[in-house]
Amino acid sequence: MQALRSYRLLVTWQALRKKSYLPLMMAVQTLFSLGIVLGYPLLFPTLDRTTIYLIATGAPAISMLSVGLVALPQTVGEAKVEGSLAYMRSLPVPRLAYLVADLTVWLAIVVPGVVLGVLVGAWRFGLDMQVSPLVIPAVLMVALTATCVGYALASTLPYMLTVIITQAIVVLVFMFSPLTFLPDKLPGWLETIHRLLPIQAMGEVTRGTLAPNVFPLPAGAFLTLAVWCVLGFAVTYAAMTRRA
Amino acid sequence: MLLEIENLTKVFRGGVRANDEIDLSIAAGEVFGLLGHNGAGKTTLVSQVVGLLRPTAGSIRIDGRDMVADPGRARRLCSFQAQSQVPIDGLTPRQAIELLGQLRGAPRSDVRRRRALLVDALELGEWLDVDAARLSGGVKRLVAFAMAAVAPGRLVMLDEPTNDVDPVRRRLLWQQVRSLADEGAAVLLVTHNVVEAERSVDRLAILDAGRVIAEGTPAELKAGLGAELRLELVIDPRSTELPVSPFGRSVVPVGNRLMVGVPTGAAGPAVAWAESLQRDGAVEEFTLGPATLEDVYVALVGGQEARSAEMEARLDASAA
Repeated sequence: MQALRSYRLLVTWQALRKKSYLPLMMAVQTLFSLGIVLGYPLLFPTLDRTTIYLIATGAPAISMLSVGLVALPQTVGEAKVEGSLAYMRSLPVPRLAYLVADLTVWLAIVVPGVVLGVLVGAWRFGLDMQVSPLVIPAVLMVALTATCVGYALASTLPYMLTVIITQAIVVLVFMFSPLTFLPDKLPGWLETIHRLLPIQAMGEVTRGTLAPNVFPLPAGAFLTLAVWCVLGFAVTYAAMTRRA
Repeated sequence: MLLEIENLTKVFRGGVRANDEIDLSIAAGEVFGLLGHNGAGKTTLVSQVVGLLRPTAGSIRIDGRDMVADPGRARRLCSFQAQSQVPIDGLTPRQAIELLGQLRGAPRSDVRRRRALLVDALELGEWLDVDAARLSGGVKRLVAFAMAAVAPGRLVMLDEPTNDVDPVRRRLLWQQVRSLADEGAAVLLVTHNVVEAERSVDRLAILDAGRVIAEGTPAELKAGLGAELRLELVIDPRSTELPVSPFGRSVVPVGNRLMVGVPTGAAGPAVAWAESLQRDGAVEEFTLGPATLEDVYVALVGGQEARSAEMEARLDASAA
């Protein structure tokens, strides 16, 4: 009961802290999704139907990754440097409540842009997306995994290293991850690496639930995500509770 | 004693010994000052009490319970104002203070009543509903204090609470610090503002390089200095030699000033000596007054931040 009360109060606190730039971040996320959906066809005017589906369903995953693995670690890293993370850790609340409250607010930032991006993509290209009900757990799972892994990065690494790694992640996600294309386009060694990383699984569950009539939904993808999600959460929780 | 710290040692990776076998105890109703230069180990000590750092050795007990083994309990029993600014941009002082009170488990009606009392007492009313992002650093410090005081734990730890606060509101803040103790809390006050601490604390400890080098009431520490009066000489920058005290007491250089210990009863000779120095041009001006805690502090810690190398050299030359 106390944990729930703490969670509610901490969500209020974190939402109020982010409220001034929350609408802006949501708008940027939305534009981000739209940019991918509307921008790729400008670069490649003669796209086949499958590629258009890949772009429209891959954009949400890219959008979620950009928040979870880039914006979030940088924000948490700054909080670590300025001492505000230590202050929050000194409060008489369960650390789990703080962590879950913060993740809740980040999820709230991510999800609207994802939904709008998908709707506009489907409308722009006249796509027949027979969205599966599994899309809700899929999107939550992708967003949660991205934020947990991002949190783990920021919690355990020095701030400058976090910034550098997040920049590298931007390049990896945009250019060399099978989100808007299929993994067989990658060189063999990178394809192998992506079988272990969570990014490919994120793309698979997103497109497999947004357009199940076009793409299969590999059962292993959810499992891969679950493993990464639990791993990220465990590392973050350990860092939050650790006394140096 | 409410807080009992024994043999507390904290060695960071790399071998930095931030706290070295510290023994302290604070009773309920007491305001205890922890004084020391930057880097003396004050913040490291409070961070261990509140469970952010794990001691390398030693024990921390509140009400007889081991806080090292149960940091969650430590956070519930301690209210803490950190040295860094609190993360409240986006919140108003009203929201921040009330949220903290509720997070500490106090009923909403009590929190509102106590928030109103603190806001009035610290004269924060005009900023009550202003986004903290638009508040000055001093007002934010006061809000952070109110957050620590709205539903105080049995131990209240305040790390440099007066930083950036204007002189008028500092006085109001010190009154509220005293009120916290009067209402039964033990207050651990971390500061390097010795002058203010002298007026506000019941007992204090001076920390230097991680060790407690003095502990007692302000009066006890001043008595230990052995000088009841202090003659402050402002040295003429053109003079090449420093005056040699005829009183056989401490002589401590601080910037371009020389603090000379003078025994009670020697006020007349001290003034005459200072006047002669002034006539000779060695001293620009002087002041004679009772010895303060600052004198004790500077004598003990050595005035490392204020002491200039030039003054040291001149003092050595005079002594030789």
